[in-house]
Amino acid sequence: MTTPPDAIEAPGDPVLPVGVPAAQIRGRSPWYLAWLRLRRNKVSLAFGVLFLLIVVFCLAAPLWADHVAHTGPNENHITDTVMIDGQQVDVVSPDGTPIGPGLHGRYLLGADQNGRDVMVRLMYGGRTSIFIGVAAAVITTVLAILVGLLCGYYRGWIDTALSRVMDVVWAFPVLLLGIALGTALALGGLKIGALQVAGDSLWIPILIIGMVYVPYIARPIRGEILALREKEFVEAAVAQGKGPVRIMVGELLPNVVSTVIVFFTLNIANNMLLESALSFLGAGVRAPNASWGTMIADGYQTIYTAPHLTIVPGVMIVLTVLSLNVFGDGLRDALDPRAKIRLEH
Amino acid sequence: MSKLRNALRKVTVLSCTSAVAVFGVAACGSDDGSEASGGGEINISMTSFPDYIDPQLSYTLEGWEVLYNTYTPLLTYKHAKGEEGTSVVPGLAEEMPEISGDGKTYKLKLRSDMKYSDGTPIKASDFTYAIQRLFKADSGGSVFYSGIVGAPAYAEGTADTISGIVTDDNTGDITITLDSPNGTFENVLGLPFAAPVPPSTPLSDDATNNPPPSSGPFMITSVEAPQTMTLERNPNFQSVLDAGATEVADAGVDKIVVTQNKSNSAQVTGVEQNTIDFMVDPPDADRLQEVKTRFGERFRMEESINTYYFWMNNQTAPFNDVRVRQAVNYAIDPEALNRVFGGRMHPTQQVLPPGMPGYEEYKLYPGPDMNKAKALLAEANPADRDITVWTNDEPDRKRIGEYYHDVLNQMGFNATLKVIAGDVYFTTIGNQSTPDLDTGFGNWFQDFPHPDDFFRPLLNSDAILPTNGNNFSRASYPELDAKMNELLTKQLTDGDTEAQYAALDKAYMEQAAWAPYGNEQFTTFVSDRIDFDNAYHHLLFNQDWSALALK
Repeated sequence: MTTPPDAIEAPGDPVLPVGVPAAQIRGRSPWYLAWLRLRRNKVSLAFGVLFLLIVVFCLAAPLWADHVAHTGPNENHITDTVMIDGQQVDVVSPDGTPIGPGLHGRYLLGADQNGRDVMVRLMYGGRTSIFIGVAAAVITTVLAILVGLLCGYYRGWIDTALSRVMDVVWAFPVLLLGIALGTALALGGLKIGALQVAGDSLWIPILIIGMVYVPYIARPIRGEILALREKEFVEAAVAQGKGPVRIMVGELLPNVVSTVIVFFTLNIANNMLLESALSFLGAGVRAPNASWGTMIADGYQTIYTAPHLTIVPGVMIVLTVLSLNVFGDGLRDALDPRAKIRLEH
Repeated sequence: MSKLRNALRKVTVLSCTSAVAVFGVAACGSDDGSEASGGGEINISMTSFPDYIDPQLSYTLEGWEVLYNTYTPLLTYKHAKGEEGTSVVPGLAEEMPEISGDGKTYKLKLRSDMKYSDGTPIKASDFTYAIQRLFKADSGGSVFYSGIVGAPAYAEGTADTISGIVTDDNTGDITITLDSPNGTFENVLGLPFAAPVPPSTPLSDDATNNPPPSSGPFMITSVEAPQTMTLERNPNFQSVLDAGATEVADAGVDKIVVTQNKSNSAQVTGVEQNTIDFMVDPPDADRLQEVKTRFGERFRMEESINTYYFWMNNQTAPFNDVRVRQAVNYAIDPEALNRVFGGRMHPTQQVLPPGMPGYEEYKLYPGPDMNKAKALLAEANPADRDITVWTNDEPDRKRIGEYYHDVLNQMGFNATLKVIAGDVYFTTIGNQSTPDLDTGFGNWFQDFPHPDDFFRPLLNSDAILPTNGNNFSRASYPELDAKMNELLTKQLTDGDTEAQYAALDKAYMEQAAWAPYGNEQFTTFVSDRIDFDNAYHHLLFNQDWSALALK
């Protein structure tokens, strides 16, 4: 039996193989075809792998802390000394200057002004930043799908009302809105009925970031749903007696999943950037917990004497966001080559 | 200095010290003070603009640094470095007050023929007007003067004048009557709050945008708050000198342009490159070493009278057990906190700072000794170990909080760090309705050189207030309150009063009401153009701008 070529329906291979009976041509799902397209985009895949490596690096934080650095991310060692080249060296010198990076197990990337191991904080901070990025992206995506489906399917006053709410959120500069909410919620936390979140909880920045980006994804989804709503398959579903919920979930949602996946990926990168900015400005992750944003905020105070405190987390943010963006672009091209999805703000 | 600004903001009840006027000493004036010295124009940068440019309203060190050389009270603080600068000397008054035997009546006499910078004669009744402004403009400094007979009634609007102040513009006589003796009242009369201003000054409004005419060596000629202001030589200051104010120093330059600059690093670079002549704030730790090593010929560390401490709520668990509080004192490492400040902190373990009358060095809790701390905590075995640690978001404060949070967790507490904005920090922790006020960062800068200023607002039971309190530790020890009240009725020069204040200090630390850890140093860093040897840091008002002169 002849094995059908994998790339038989892939873009770039416009014609069917000569001499292969049509009955023998194996059908390919859209997902499989997308994977085939993505597989050929080596740059995108490379950045995807880079992102995975960064995730693995961050997940390994407890191992590094326990077995190499022998300190936690928040443990201060201001007056400790460390042996380097046979000499005892202050972790933080009497004038407040922290030890710099070096090829010694502890303090591989140096210490900060409180004598905390930068490598350990970088790894734990990455966990925090990525967790916030992903968790906020889930919140944003779920809410955006909900709003997009409701607006696009029902139209009318529901669309008008929800769209205006989205407009109001959109009208605020994201960073300003994040700072305002972060500052307001820092002291008393969030209390809405049974939902209670402490002011220093990571869920505060997650909820803030998750909320402020909803319009940026809900609007394009709404646009797609509005167009799909007029298609014949929806009319057919109505004729079959399907209710609105079944139509939205069973008919419309599957048709926007590729868009959602691309937005989700790009949104993680944007969320991480916003988290860094909010933390830098004191409205995100709360001290003493580390995130890459808080590390930059702490480090820039010593940019002259200890620039590594700012540069190292900055490089990690750049690499992570770049990898997600490039991979997200590749994913977009793979899932829908004709799409022009872009997360703008 | 935002740090000092916050420190002073917290003070709501008592605080501040002196002001303007009478300049003694000073290397920049001639012996008889009769000739203006120096000239030229300099520029000064500060990170935070003063809260007010109004002698009755300003309540920050940034403000007082300006007002010290623009508005002269009846009494003032000597223009001299070190402890000599904490001496109260006659300003616009001819002599120190004559105090009645019962300590309630103060008699002063205004020097004659003095003029404000706009030519208006300075009158005795202007002092009354200044005190009235304190109450009508809701000044934070009014509390210092509420002990004057009739002041409460005037404040409440039930009297048209303050009956306890009687003045005679013809003779210059001023008589002040108090409800009860007050050993700090001479100090209080030296505060900028009490500097006379003419009746053309708005009684109940902030005069920042149009400051009243000055009575000091400089006058304020323009204010664009919060960006810039200009001080120029007061053309009528000679009338103050001629009136016999022999302690008064004249201005060393003709003009000072003050500019706010939020970047400490940019200020450092400006002074290094001689584009800024003096920066009010100390260089950040990041630049401090560089400045010390490369510009040592125009930089020096300066003493300041302050105490940095951790407060602990003495009334609720777990810090209502003295063993727990003592454990914290054993665990804290002042050297670690010194490094947070870039090496600008003297270690301490007591309430009164060096330079304050009554200061006698001692150390009850030698350490750091984490084992001893853990042992004490185990002995106390508090049921509640979940605590909240408070600090604010200024960089060094935040790092202090992070250090303290880690120490408490090492001891065995389950601590949560709460970092809030610096401009609301002290009002938040001074509000009793704020939940989880267990322990946190605190500091205090002297308002006037009297030890009572370090006890009454911070440790007296009466300072435990629903809002705007400064007794963050909720320390309430009736026998120590009684001792404090007894000492207030005495002059510092009476017998062993200073020794009794030292004993009071030790008594509070035996209770471990606080965990003090340091006294912060400040700096003088000037451009190449400035006569560095002449410049000095005043213990109460930071840099004495009258001593700044071009080479």
